[in-house]
Amino acid sequence: MSTLIANDLRMGYTSGKLRAEVLRGLSLTVDAGQLTLIAGPSGCGKSTLLSILSGLQRPDKGSVMALSEDLWRSNRRSLDHFRLRHTGFVFQGFNLFPALTALEQVMLPLGYMGVGDRAARERARVALDEVGLTPRAHLLPAELSGGEKQRVAIARALVKHPQLLFADEPTSALDAANGQIVIDTLRRIAHEHGTTVLCVSHDPRLVTHADRVLEMEDGVIWNDRRAEPKSENAS
Amino acid sequence: MIALARKTLLHEWRRFLPAVLAVAFSGVLLLMQAALVFGIFGATAVYITASDARVWVGYPGTQSIELGRPIGPQAHTALLMDPGVARVEPFAWVGADWRGPPGTGGLSVFVSGIATRPDGMIFSSVLSASQRALLQEPFAVIVDRADLSKLGVPVGGQALINGDLVRIVGTASGIRALGGVNVVASLDTARQLSIDGGDGADVAYYVATLKPGADPARVAARINARARGYAAWTAPAFARRAVSYWMFQTGAGLGVIFLAVVVFIVGAIITSQTLMGAIAGSVREYATLHALGVGLGSLRRVVLEQAAWIGVSGLIAGGLLSLGLMALAKFEEVPVAMNLPAWIACAWVVMAIALVSGIAAVRVLRRADPALLLR
Repeated sequence: MSTLIANDLRMGYTSGKLRAEVLRGLSLTVDAGQLTLIAGPSGCGKSTLLSILSGLQRPDKGSVMALSEDLWRSNRRSLDHFRLRHTGFVFQGFNLFPALTALEQVMLPLGYMGVGDRAARERARVALDEVGLTPRAHLLPAELSGGEKQRVAIARALVKHPQLLFADEPTSALDAANGQIVIDTLRRIAHEHGTTVLCVSHDPRLVTHADRVLEMEDGVIWNDRRAEPKSENAS
Repeated sequence: MIALARKTLLHEWRRFLPAVLAVAFSGVLLLMQAALVFGIFGATAVYITASDARVWVGYPGTQSIELGRPIGPQAHTALLMDPGVARVEPFAWVGADWRGPPGTGGLSVFVSGIATRPDGMIFSSVLSASQRALLQEPFAVIVDRADLSKLGVPVGGQALINGDLVRIVGTASGIRALGGVNVVASLDTARQLSIDGGDGADVAYYVATLKPGADPARVAARINARARGYAAWTAPAFARRAVSYWMFQTGAGLGVIFLAVVVFIVGAIITSQTLMGAIAGSVREYATLHALGVGLGSLRRVVLEQAAWIGVSGLIAGGLLSLGLMALAKFEEVPVAMNLPAWIACAWVVMAIALVSGIAAVRVLRRADPALLLR
């Protein structure tokens, strides 16, 4: 089932007298329950595409239907609300609050969703367990490794039970082993929770693990590859 | 709900410390200038504050001791008839001209005519029974120790007041006046020294102590209900009238407000800059929260809550520092005085500094655009 449908997206930036077209009438659909990867060289427009699909940046032209909602017809407040209810984000920089323990980082967004403290703590524990960080739950970011921080960030996205999970270069700051853990986690989330996981990366390690790879260059998608169905443990 | 504001403040206290200090020092400046002004202008009410009289009766509308007029003996009767009054005593005030030895020129002095009995009310806290007894000698006067050099006459020496020869029989401490010299004499002497001569002083009051359990405000209200040609005040109310009259008469009150505005602006600028720096340092984390759907309104509340905590911490630090400085000033005999309303007013201004800074610093959150995290 397609949970994200983009139609004729156009986006450009003006720098001085130069106008650079980053997206040139791009259309795509993304399905639930899969890890979809947008790959391409830096500057090809993949991060811009992610920010438009996730409701963070308004396109010059075109529309995005996310969970049957026309994102860019909404006002700012309902966009915030949409993201709060339905989306999770994982960024390249982990962006964790230095003052909060891993458990508190994960609980934090739930407070804004109106989840009570006790329920939030329970959900945060489950989310941290899912990324294998239960023993590290009481630690501050300064006491965690890079890979652990990114797993906390994933748990923070996951704890909201989002239908859409966006990840921007989630592995590029990590070594091979930690990158592998993060990739596996993202894919498991897609398969087990039926979440639409859309990941942007130029990390070649990710390509072999994605269920679908969209290759992008110069503001258009020029290749759409779907992996052969394989068992969960085959990776 | 995770207490993000408070936890961040505690964890990154070094980053927020300059803001707390700015708020604290703003508080200290505000409190100290208020304490100094109250201390200096408190001298205008020294007659009232250094006496154990609970109710004062004088000319209606009198704003400060020296601005009164003589009142008739019916005020005396009214006080005596009130069921709450224990004892009544007259008090005379004479503005006079002092001539010391040749070469010292003239001086304005304020002669207080007081009851000389051992339990006299006026200046009860600064004059002993034996000093009062000394005043029973005609034309005997007592002055503040600190004023002796100004008057040019040692204890035992003589001078002229309004042309009459007086003798300094002793000194006391704590009766200094503002804009002149306080000279204490007996009621009889004060009347003699009055330019009118004979029966009248420039200003006359009746003061009263009350029976145990009597409420000064009620006694004053009862007297006022039937008063004609005189009015009654409780001692604190009359003292407040004197201090506030002088504060605004001399422009010192405006000076206080002006300096408070300057302190407010300087404090708010430093505090807001520090806060902005602290928020800018966490802008990526705020942007992430915003990406996750936490609205800018909620993020603003985090910043304002931090500002409020900074205000509270600064208030406590500034208050403790001010208490220490007040003690030091009193030890060094610097005139300082403070009252609860002034403490409360300063506390409000300090909290306002913190909150205005928070409101100014909220602007930095505009940089918390999640799209920036994707580049």
